[in-house]
Amino acid sequence: MAAAAAASIRERQTVALKRMLNFNVPHVKNSTGEPVWKVLIYDRFGQDIISPLLSVKELRDMGITLHLLLHSDRDPIPDVPAVYFVMPTEENIDRMCQDLRNQLYESYYLNFISAISRSKLEDIANAALAASAVTQVAKVFDQYLNFITLEDDMFVLCNQNKELVSYRAINRPDITDTEMETVMDTIVDSLFCFFVTLGAVPIIRCSRGTAAEMVAVKLDKKLRENLRDARNSLFTGDTLGAGQFSFQRPLLVLVDRNIDLATPLHHTWTYQALVHDVLDFHLNRVNLEESSGVENSPAGARPKRKNKKSYDLTPVDKFWQKHKGSPFPEVAESVQQELESYRAQEDEVKRLKSIMGLEGEDEGAISMLSDNTAKLTSAVSSLPELLEKKRLIDLHTNVATAVLEHIKARKLDVYFEYEEKIMSKTTLDKSLLDIISDPDAGTPEDKMRLFLIYYISAQQAPSEADLEQYKKALTDAGCNLNPLQYIKQWKAFAKMASAPASYGNTTTKPMGLLSRVMNTGSQFVMEGVKNLVLKQQNLPVTRILDNLMEMKSNPETDDYRYFDPKMLRGNDSSVPRNKNPFQEAIVFVVGGGNYIEYQNLVDYIKLSQLGQK
Amino acid sequence: MAVDITLLFRASVKTVKTRNKALGVAVGGGVDGSRDELFRRSPRPKGDFSSRAREVISHIGKLRDFLLEHRKDYINAYSYVMSEYGRMTDTERDQIDQDAQTFMRTCSEAIQQLRTQGVCKLYSEQRAIRVKRVVDKKRLSKLEPEPSTKTRESTSSEKVSRNPSEDSEEKPVTEEHPEKVPAESQPELGTWGDGKGDDELSPEEIQMFEQENQRLIGEMNSLFDEVRQIEGRVVEISRLQEIFTEKVLQQEAEIDSIHQLVVGATENIKEGNEDIREVSTLGPPGPPQCGTESRQQRSSCWQGGTSALLWPSPQGSPPDGAGQSHFDPRQTPDPRCYQEP
Repeated sequence: MAAAAAASIRERQTVALKRMLNFNVPHVKNSTGEPVWKVLIYDRFGQDIISPLLSVKELRDMGITLHLLLHSDRDPIPDVPAVYFVMPTEENIDRMCQDLRNQLYESYYLNFISAISRSKLEDIANAALAASAVTQVAKVFDQYLNFITLEDDMFVLCNQNKELVSYRAINRPDITDTEMETVMDTIVDSLFCFFVTLGAVPIIRCSRGTAAEMVAVKLDKKLRENLRDARNSLFTGDTLGAGQFSFQRPLLVLVDRNIDLATPLHHTWTYQALVHDVLDFHLNRVNLEESSGVENSPAGARPKRKNKKSYDLTPVDKFWQKHKGSPFPEVAESVQQELESYRAQEDEVKRLKSIMGLEGEDEGAISMLSDNTAKLTSAVSSLPELLEKKRLIDLHTNVATAVLEHIKARKLDVYFEYEEKIMSKTTLDKSLLDIISDPDAGTPEDKMRLFLIYYISAQQAPSEADLEQYKKALTDAGCNLNPLQYIKQWKAFAKMASAPASYGNTTTKPMGLLSRVMNTGSQFVMEGVKNLVLKQQNLPVTRILDNLMEMKSNPETDDYRYFDPKMLRGNDSSVPRNKNPFQEAIVFVVGGGNYIEYQNLVDYIKLSQLGQK
Repeated sequence: MAVDITLLFRASVKTVKTRNKALGVAVGGGVDGSRDELFRRSPRPKGDFSSRAREVISHIGKLRDFLLEHRKDYINAYSYVMSEYGRMTDTERDQIDQDAQTFMRTCSEAIQQLRTQGVCKLYSEQRAIRVKRVVDKKRLSKLEPEPSTKTRESTSSEKVSRNPSEDSEEKPVTEEHPEKVPAESQPELGTWGDGKGDDELSPEEIQMFEQENQRLIGEMNSLFDEVRQIEGRVVEISRLQEIFTEKVLQQEAEIDSIHQLVVGATENIKEGNEDIREVSTLGPPGPPQCGTESRQQRSSCWQGGTSALLWPSPQGSPPDGAGQSHFDPRQTPDPRCYQEP
């Protein structure tokens, strides 16, 4: 997860990709004429990186006629250059050598997502020699793009093998030293690529005694080595690019997931977070199953078919950009508003059409004609816009409806409200046991999540008898009790380390939106769903960031280690050399962040920007 | 941003080229090259064998032709009626027999040798392969997996090439050997499997070994320091001991001199004692006063130990030597004890 940078990381990565596709010559946007037609070969990692950033149309604009997976059967296309974008693993290298031997393409532009080792490069050289194809290998590049950017200011490490760097992988008890090293190396490699693409050397701060510290030490070492190596340094002036205007160095805050385990379990209420939690949402693409309308199937005819539809939620989607952080009722309302305005515009166009139709018969009213021509031209020019709007509205209507169904089915609003209350330590009006034992409130997972949040946030552990009761209720509801075991252990450790994190004050107020929505007769019949509005709260991650950026003194963050890869001598102190507050920060959670925290950080940024003005 | 490693790629192409040239292969990379090279190597010993075998065969052929040629003449032993040229004397025939026999013997020996040499070569090669494998394993245990995998592959290909060459060569003899060879290769493969397993375990073993190394280094260093300290102390001790012996020697000299003095003193005292005893036992042969006096005085003289004489007496020290009437001539005046008047 990242906060805003001068030229956002998404733009930078996109620029880098486009340059790569243009044979690593900087891409000039206004170039006329046809681009050189080429073929793009990628592996699954490459696919994950490219798909949120470039659509198929954009690829076509860059001249990619065909894009294929590396490990598929590919026919030879003898007079076309091929651009490869793969990870430098053994199997990929073998397949590439095979391609060279089989003389599939005219020329090869090899791009490796992260740096390739010398021995593997020699393997390729060998194969190229064997196939007498050395001249065909036109360029070989290390792209340093081993991360996936999802938003302007958010990135994740990987999607294909995210199990490798997940919380479970890092925190399970039977991990060996060497496995841990592998995980840490993967994380550090991706972070290093991120900073190379960003073109800045950060100042690193991390808490002591955690996996985050391991990552920080390794990353610091790697950056330091790279800076020392003056010949091959990746951070020299020309790589900073024209977009880098801030002269201050960014702050990298490395936190471990263990400081706050309740937030990932928390039920969500903002649009993006809900879509991610409830629907199948990966790499900015949501997959919906739609059942065909019940009322349309005639009696005795074919059965209901479920259509799978997938939608891309991209930065071009204005509605999404505006509302992805809003609480769900607001979203519902906004969709409604958009729909209304669209209908009004549509009516306008129809009216014009009918007028034109009438106009064709009556020749006398020329003045009306000229007036209407102007209106018509404006309507025609705005037609594509209108169509696009329609498409977006349809999209969001479908998505929001799906989300709403889930909410109603699982009573997610109840869960959300209850968890908020637990986390802010206000009094609970309903007993936890009631909710757990309620058979139509939520899946067993939901109940488990609720109970775990309760357990984590409780000042003292519930008594044995209570615990037994809860356990029984949970097992009756069909839950697996293993997570509870883990959280118990975790809590024991966390108690030894520090005080449990507090979540700030928050209240949830039911608002009177329900009535308004009902009155306008919209599709979003949110009856029975509470309309809850979030009040501003600061999650632990945001608090830590605030302290570190503003250089506030706080017992929680004073003990954080300080790394500056540009300093000549590393030292173990926690005293920051730089006393000025930071303008840019990147927050990375070792073990996985989530959309709730992302949203919280974005809100924090907005607030602090407002406050500064 | 992106790093252009095309130059690095070209450089590695060049290194690979030079490496392949060094291995003696024009085109064809890595393992394939080494296998080709071995295939090229293996015909050479094959050539040795075959050339020798061919030699033997040609010799035998020549002998056969010779015998065939002279057969007629040979058989025509009893037909002296035949032409003079074809006639062979008995001696000639004997000679021919002898020569043929020796030749046959040498040929059979050569064949035997070839056979045994073949066997010896097999065994020596087996041993060489085994030694190589042991070395590889040692290198594995020192945790250098890459070069050993390459050599392992090359040894495996060597074995593969070895077996068909042997088989094709001398089937009857070497039939049992290839059987042994695969049998031996099976347990070897087993150890290879372990070796490969070692490869998979090595990252953890590397760590453990590194830790052990550190510990051992620390221990060795401390031992070294201790040894140095002890050395210093021993040097000091030796120095002190030198001084000690010096002093002791000095004291010895002094003690010797003291000893001498003491011995002299005891002798003097003994003599003095004897003198006094003699004087006291002699009684008073001269004037009693004199005698007693002399005795008393002599004793007092002796007791005093002084050389001063208490009563005057004529110069007893007798230069004239006569008339010493009041002296007992038996008494020998000891001039040391007392003075004669």
